[in-house]
Amino acid sequence: MARHNLNTVIGFEFFRTVKKRRFWIATLAIPVALALVFALIVISNESTSTTAEAQKNARLSFAYTDDSGLITETLAATFGGTKATDGVQAIADVKAGTVDAYFVFPADPATQPVRVYGVDKGIFLNGTYDAVAKQILVVAAQQKIGSPRLTALAQGDVRTKSQTYKNGQVSGGLNAVIPPMLFLLIFYVSIILLASQMLGSTLEEKENRVTEMILTTLNPTTLIVGKVMSLFIVGLMQMLIFALPVVIGYLFFRSNLNLPDLDLSHLALEPAPMIVGALLLLGGFTLFTGTLVAIGAVMPTAKEAGTYFGTLMALIWVPFYIVSLIVSDPHALIVQIFTYFPFSAPVTAMLRNGFGSLTLLESVVVIAELFILGFIALRLAVHLFRYGSIEYSKKLSIRYALRRRNHA
Amino acid sequence: MGARHMVGEPLVHISDFRMDFGSQVVIRDLSFDVHAGETFGFLGSNGSGKTTTLRALLGIYQPTAGTLHVDGKVFEPRDGARLGYLPEERGLYKKESVLDVMVYFGRLKGLSRQKAVDWSHAYLDRVSLADKATTRVDKLSGGQQQKIQLGVTIMNDPELLILDEPTQGFDPVNRLLLMDIIEDQKRAGATVIMVTHQMEEVERLCDRVLLLKDGTAEAYGTIEDVQDRYGGSIIRLQHSGPLPASDLYDITLAERSYAELAPRPGTDETDILRELVVRGVAVRSFTTTKTSLEEIFIRVYGDRNEPVGD
Repeated sequence: MARHNLNTVIGFEFFRTVKKRRFWIATLAIPVALALVFALIVISNESTSTTAEAQKNARLSFAYTDDSGLITETLAATFGGTKATDGVQAIADVKAGTVDAYFVFPADPATQPVRVYGVDKGIFLNGTYDAVAKQILVVAAQQKIGSPRLTALAQGDVRTKSQTYKNGQVSGGLNAVIPPMLFLLIFYVSIILLASQMLGSTLEEKENRVTEMILTTLNPTTLIVGKVMSLFIVGLMQMLIFALPVVIGYLFFRSNLNLPDLDLSHLALEPAPMIVGALLLLGGFTLFTGTLVAIGAVMPTAKEAGTYFGTLMALIWVPFYIVSLIVSDPHALIVQIFTYFPFSAPVTAMLRNGFGSLTLLESVVVIAELFILGFIALRLAVHLFRYGSIEYSKKLSIRYALRRRNHA
Repeated sequence: MGARHMVGEPLVHISDFRMDFGSQVVIRDLSFDVHAGETFGFLGSNGSGKTTTLRALLGIYQPTAGTLHVDGKVFEPRDGARLGYLPEERGLYKKESVLDVMVYFGRLKGLSRQKAVDWSHAYLDRVSLADKATTRVDKLSGGQQQKIQLGVTIMNDPELLILDEPTQGFDPVNRLLLMDIIEDQKRAGATVIMVTHQMEEVERLCDRVLLLKDGTAEAYGTIEDVQDRYGGSIIRLQHSGPLPASDLYDITLAERSYAELAPRPGTDETDILRELVVRGVAVRSFTTTKTSLEEIFIRVYGDRNEPVGD
């Protein structure tokens, strides 16, 4: 009967959610917005490409003086420049619009600025002067060095290929960080998508005065577990719908969208961080779900629950204020506090798990803490719903509800 | 609740029930049984503790002390498959369609989906709401929503039917319809506990009653027992000539040619008639009736102040 009722609750809650027009408007708004952004990017890229082509073909006419002695007249001519003999006249020519710009190359361009006088062509096109002046100096320096290799080295155009070891084994580096971090992403998306619905899940019974009918028909644990599971299914569906335009965009419009060609084969799926990440996700989800449902059971209306809801939501973002410390000094006191404080623990521990600084012992402690507290929160939520939701229009006294014991 | 019980067996047993809310004692030492197959009127003024007792019986409230058993044990929601409970606080999932809500509760009470759908359509037809099956609940009138809620309450053929003010908000026509439906349940063998302020409903449907006052049982028994205890009989008299005072009766109402007499304890109605005739009263009609429950109710609760909540 309990299993039958659980399925009934899941089915009822799921279908009543997905049957609502409001749900589809909210759900489709994001992919539609993404599709619009992608379309704008494609159009913009085409326009940028056309503009770049036009700029490439458009020649800049400029005058210059060079106190450094690095720039040859031949080099300047290839960029459209002619040497000026009178700086004041050159500026007057710019003002008159007979040349586009006048560049004054100083004696020591490494320490002194190149002064540029140009016709105003708008914020974006004015940048061309700066780019051309710099490029002339770069090419002039390359010509002085006389070797493309040395020029590249001088420009710091150097690649390195690292291999690091952890416990005597080759570590995955950044490729090993990304996969466990996916759990953090899923945690954020699921909490953001589902939190307000979790909060409202038991409020609805109170606001509709349907609590007594429910409590005499159905075990409250079955009701709450059914609601949470249906919300999770709804959240999964929403995530898939949100991801769909990204996947389509990547697979079919990658070049138009200037998306990088991701080579997923380089990602290192290390079992331990993946398992720990998955358990932290589940534990964190359980804790937040239980807490939100408990808040809903105590508060008479969604409006009054909002204050506590906001505080709880803020806690999942707090660890990002110390993310640099989490990466650089995971044993700092504040990082340790955030690792073990229940409502900041999921995010902090998942970050540390991704960066490889969460020890096995710490993982076990945090996972156990999240599951134990999550279970307690869910039990409390059920208890508060059972003995609290009958207080339809007033806030439940938790102490009063907890005093109520089971029948002897 | 398992198989149907033998008529007369206690299906509900409450003994020494006490309920405190903080320092306020709402119910004190309340004991009564409801027998299988009977219709039991649970009466009392607003705030006397009726709803509290029902909620404690069904596990919604935890009693401060005492035993509250349904079918020999504390009620658990899993037993709800054979319970029909119409609470005082009415409510349904307002944004869903009538049929969806009915089928949902039917499924929770153990019906197959098809059976729940079929039952719902038949019920909606009976209560003249067949065209509202796909209408959202919040689009219905209050009375229509009440009918839906009653349907949800009885759709599992309950063995124990608990109705907290079932006719509240109904017009007289729909009240009769509702009474018919309750009588059908009764005929089908259901044990019915009914909280109501409509005494004519009690007199029509109930086998036994309990009058709750200030958290204790003021009266408990068959309707006749209660009438005998609180009012006995009333003599309705059509007459001419002056009505003399007597040690045999009290005159409770005296109009021009009509009077109501309350016999003193131990007095036989025949002696009163003889007394009237002997003393020269021309008696045109002389009928003896029991005191109505409504009169008893007013007599018992008439001195109450405003209720503090149920």
